[in-house]
Amino acid sequence: MVKKLIYILLLLPMACIDPYQVNVPGGPQLLTVDGLIHSGPGPHAVTISQSATYGSIFERLIRPVRGAIVVIRDNEGNVILLEEGLETRGSYFTPVGFQAKIGNSYTLQIQTAEGKVYTSLPERVESAPQIENIELKTVKIPVKGETNPRSGVQLISEINDPADQKNFYFWRLSPVVHVLEARPDLHFDQRTLTPAPKACCYTCFKTEAVGNQSLFIAQDDSFNGLKTRIPTGFIEDNGIRFVNKLRVDVNQYAVSKEAYRFLRLVKQQAEINGSIFDPPPATIRGNMVSLDDPEEVVLGYFIAAGASKKRIYIDKSDLTFRQNTVIIPDDCRAVDGAKLFPPADWNP
Amino acid sequence: MKKILVILIFFIGQASWAQTTSPSKREVIGRDIGQLKGIKISGRIMDEITGEGLVGATVTVPELDLTRVTDKNGGFELLLDRAEYTIQFRYVGYETIDYPITAVGDGRMTIRLIQEDFQLDDVVIFGRDPEKNIRSTDMGAITLSMNTMRELPPFMGEIDIVRSLATLPGVSQVGEASSGLNVRGGGVDQNLIQFAGAPIYNPSHMFGLFTAFNADVVNDVTLYKAVVPAKYGGRSSAILDILPKAGSVSKWGGDLMLSNYSGKISLNGPLIKDKVSILGGFRISYINWLLQSLSNPTVRNSQANFYDGNLVISAPISNKNEFTYSYYTSYDDFAFASDTTISWRNTAHSLQWKSKLSSKLSFEALGYYTLYDYGIFNLSGISDFEINSEIQDLGGKFFLGYNFSETSKIVFGGEYKQVNIQPGELVPKGTQEDILFKKVQNEAGREAGIHFQHDFELGEKFGFAYGLRYDTYQYLGSRVVRQYAENEPLSDGSSIGETSYKDGEVIQTYGGLGPRASFRYSLSKASSIKLGYNKMYQFIHLISNTATIAPSDVWKLSDNFLGPQIADQYSLGFYNNFKGNIFETSIEVYYKDLQNVVEYKDGATLIMQNHIETELIPAEGQAYGVELYVKKNLGRLTGWASYTYSRSLRRVITPYEEENINDGEWYASNFDKPHDLTLIGNYKVSTNTSISATFAYSTGRPVTFPEAKFEYSGINLAYFDSRNQQRLPDFHRLDFAVNFKFKGQGRFFDGNWTFSLLNVYGRRNSYSIYFGESDGSPPQALRLAILGVPLPSLSYAIKF
Repeated sequence: MVKKLIYILLLLPMACIDPYQVNVPGGPQLLTVDGLIHSGPGPHAVTISQSATYGSIFERLIRPVRGAIVVIRDNEGNVILLEEGLETRGSYFTPVGFQAKIGNSYTLQIQTAEGKVYTSLPERVESAPQIENIELKTVKIPVKGETNPRSGVQLISEINDPADQKNFYFWRLSPVVHVLEARPDLHFDQRTLTPAPKACCYTCFKTEAVGNQSLFIAQDDSFNGLKTRIPTGFIEDNGIRFVNKLRVDVNQYAVSKEAYRFLRLVKQQAEINGSIFDPPPATIRGNMVSLDDPEEVVLGYFIAAGASKKRIYIDKSDLTFRQNTVIIPDDCRAVDGAKLFPPADWNP
Repeated sequence: MKKILVILIFFIGQASWAQTTSPSKREVIGRDIGQLKGIKISGRIMDEITGEGLVGATVTVPELDLTRVTDKNGGFELLLDRAEYTIQFRYVGYETIDYPITAVGDGRMTIRLIQEDFQLDDVVIFGRDPEKNIRSTDMGAITLSMNTMRELPPFMGEIDIVRSLATLPGVSQVGEASSGLNVRGGGVDQNLIQFAGAPIYNPSHMFGLFTAFNADVVNDVTLYKAVVPAKYGGRSSAILDILPKAGSVSKWGGDLMLSNYSGKISLNGPLIKDKVSILGGFRISYINWLLQSLSNPTVRNSQANFYDGNLVISAPISNKNEFTYSYYTSYDDFAFASDTTISWRNTAHSLQWKSKLSSKLSFEALGYYTLYDYGIFNLSGISDFEINSEIQDLGGKFFLGYNFSETSKIVFGGEYKQVNIQPGELVPKGTQEDILFKKVQNEAGREAGIHFQHDFELGEKFGFAYGLRYDTYQYLGSRVVRQYAENEPLSDGSSIGETSYKDGEVIQTYGGLGPRASFRYSLSKASSIKLGYNKMYQFIHLISNTATIAPSDVWKLSDNFLGPQIADQYSLGFYNNFKGNIFETSIEVYYKDLQNVVEYKDGATLIMQNHIETELIPAEGQAYGVELYVKKNLGRLTGWASYTYSRSLRRVITPYEEENINDGEWYASNFDKPHDLTLIGNYKVSTNTSISATFAYSTGRPVTFPEAKFEYSGINLAYFDSRNQQRLPDFHRLDFAVNFKFKGQGRFFDGNWTFSLLNVYGRRNSYSIYFGESDGSPPQALRLAILGVPLPSLSYAIKF
């Protein structure tokens, strides 16, 4: 009996997190702007959407705002008209060849199809230092209830922070391109339930965006003027990406102080985990205002930034821990986003 | 002189001999020299087994309607006329003795009380003096003895001082893992927690799962939640005064407790027999196995360690003078799976000198030094660093007390302290030079106070206590202070210059008068009405953006941007005891007004912040409530019920609209829980078995729900507008414990087995609700429950 009791005591799980049904009052639909133009090659995108009520994703969708007139003005009087993407509704793109100029200030102006007019506060483009080097670090993430951890690669960038100015950094990864290995010889006919090997193709190149639950940002308070190493991105190993080689660009943006504050609030919220040390929810205010009604809340931010980037190829041998390879028993071209030939500039 | 001494010794021997044989035989006390009046009988009450003096025991002379409470050594003094008396000696958890004497001359007596082993119908839950609640003029002063706390179901295997207090009306906690107390709508930083007279900044282990005080070395705990005596100051809501035990001057003994979470041992005995005693206590956790069994993988790979230690040396060198030295330390470290370690430590030394200058005049002086420090170590391999922070108090105080009569006494005193804070220092630890050394400017301040209080009674019916305290405070250099543009909110952008102050130079001075007053009118012997008012100043603020005390919280002194917190409290109470004090009841109402409470700007950065004034906003607070309390002191079933209806509100109005919170309207504070009910029962099943249960219910605390969901950079985000407009689900929990006293042969075998089960029906009380994406599921509301399942504990304690 005593033994049993001790056993129960030892097996105790104590704290827990579970979904909780709350009735969030339906709020207003708020215009949301997610725009970033920079000094690198374009096209740059401004995405406009309508906020939704927090709750079930099926009932309340974040909807794109279509058919708006979107322009960017700079302090030299230039007006750049953005064009809505045909396949990506609600996203508006700068013309080919547009690059933001270091030192210039830009404002974003939007007129919705209903005739409402919005503008951003001006954003000045600061220059971004180069990324000197990128180191890789394999990271394991333990998962609740699973014996195998999740894992991936952390990209640690080395930069020489300029000493003469305050710098605010924002890093974003480009879509990755990786070698995709399939096993068409193991293909199985779903209807007849018999092996139906295909002759082609074993190797493809897949392009995909890798999402992150958070943002990578930093300010040079603690490293002003130093050569420093900062985590600037993370690519999760899904059992497919790291079977051979993977290419990614780390985009580094020098953002304004106000943009940094906004991004920090986004990051803070994205990383809240309900612990007793979480900060209370903060209102995330951006730099967009309504010209018709100054009281109207407009969400999101329009960033104009100086940019630099560094491209790396990651070989599977660079990882110290990898997920078990997922076997794709089909023609590799059947996989979404996969092509037989690599991009023209594929040069590992 | 020598002759008198010999006679005294004779009587001491005689008295104790007489006592141990048969107290029913009337004992003649004193040498008969025909004295008729003013016979002075002094004595000491001690534990039969350990020989420790019993502090706070009552000595009642029913014939004269006279009650005395024993001092720190268990000593007492009676002034009697030549007559026969039956003196009653009482102490919580001990057998009461009726001791018949005939007083014929000055003499001395020693009384040894025997601990009752769950004797039926004879357990007093608490209150050293059964009518104290009615008779004293104090308002909202609650003393819990350790014997009382033993009646509550233990929390994680042992008595938890802070949680025991939270069962009382008007006292609450934010959630299940939070160590601080919210007293009558005040924040956790508004309570002065002092151990043996020295302030303690972080009273918790394991982020609040355990209280950092070892109950075995604590004698009693007093919480002042309404009218705080003028001798206490420096915090605006409440005072929690924890006094350690003194060791026995006659005999070695101790306590040992082992539970499935932690273990503790204490030893005490004479260093010099009958002169100097020592008491040492040590408590350590072996909680790691528990962490490893938790389902959260980050926590599972974490490591936690804590310990605390105490040392008390007490030297009652004469009847008139007594010195007590106390040392206290608590240490914690917690290593998160992600290579980050945080450790924190409290250290406190205090030395007290108590002197009885005459039968009416007493003097007390106390000096203390306390240090709280924490460190955060990042050894992840990228930009390795260490952050160190500390706060130090060095201070002293003295009191002079004069008793004009039984019913009229004054206390006069003064206090001075210096506070030094190192808010944070970032030291690079890596081999590469990739992170800068950074230091937030140190802070220094000094605080002084003088006070006076007079307590007196007018006849049986009226009691008065009035006091006045003057506090003054200076914020000192060296420091570089920023200036900000007028008519603009404080921000990095509105900074227009800096002023340098030299070391010790006064930057800002604050001060103020804090009157305290209470009045009691007795309707009868068993009922009274009391009225009270007090004003308190606080020159230090806890900078914490969470609802509880976190080890990494920074304390900040009042400066030229942030004024002192000021609290005004008005209270009114009605007290009634029934059936010969078996039942105690009370109703109290209060209203409290707070100024300069700290609130935070949205997304404020608080750690390593050199210009913290740009992140803070002063707020007003208001709190009010009604507290109902019923307690049953005697019988097989003892316990109490307390219910509080209260509100704690905040308001932020600044000259700048964008900084106002909730448009400048009143809103609920983070710990506003309007309904709060606690039911506690302890039932003696047999002479060696008792069961106890606690049920607690409260309204869920306020939370902020999002107004909208939006997407930025591929992340689903919530847009929050107004703070604290919704509430968590209601909290309720039942705890249960069984205590079995094991009678063995010899003192090493007499032990107490306690089995307790917290959260009996496994309710997942929400600590928080937050909005985010958990792996693979859409953004939604998620609930964190700290104690999501029934939590058993088993402990074994022996006294030797």
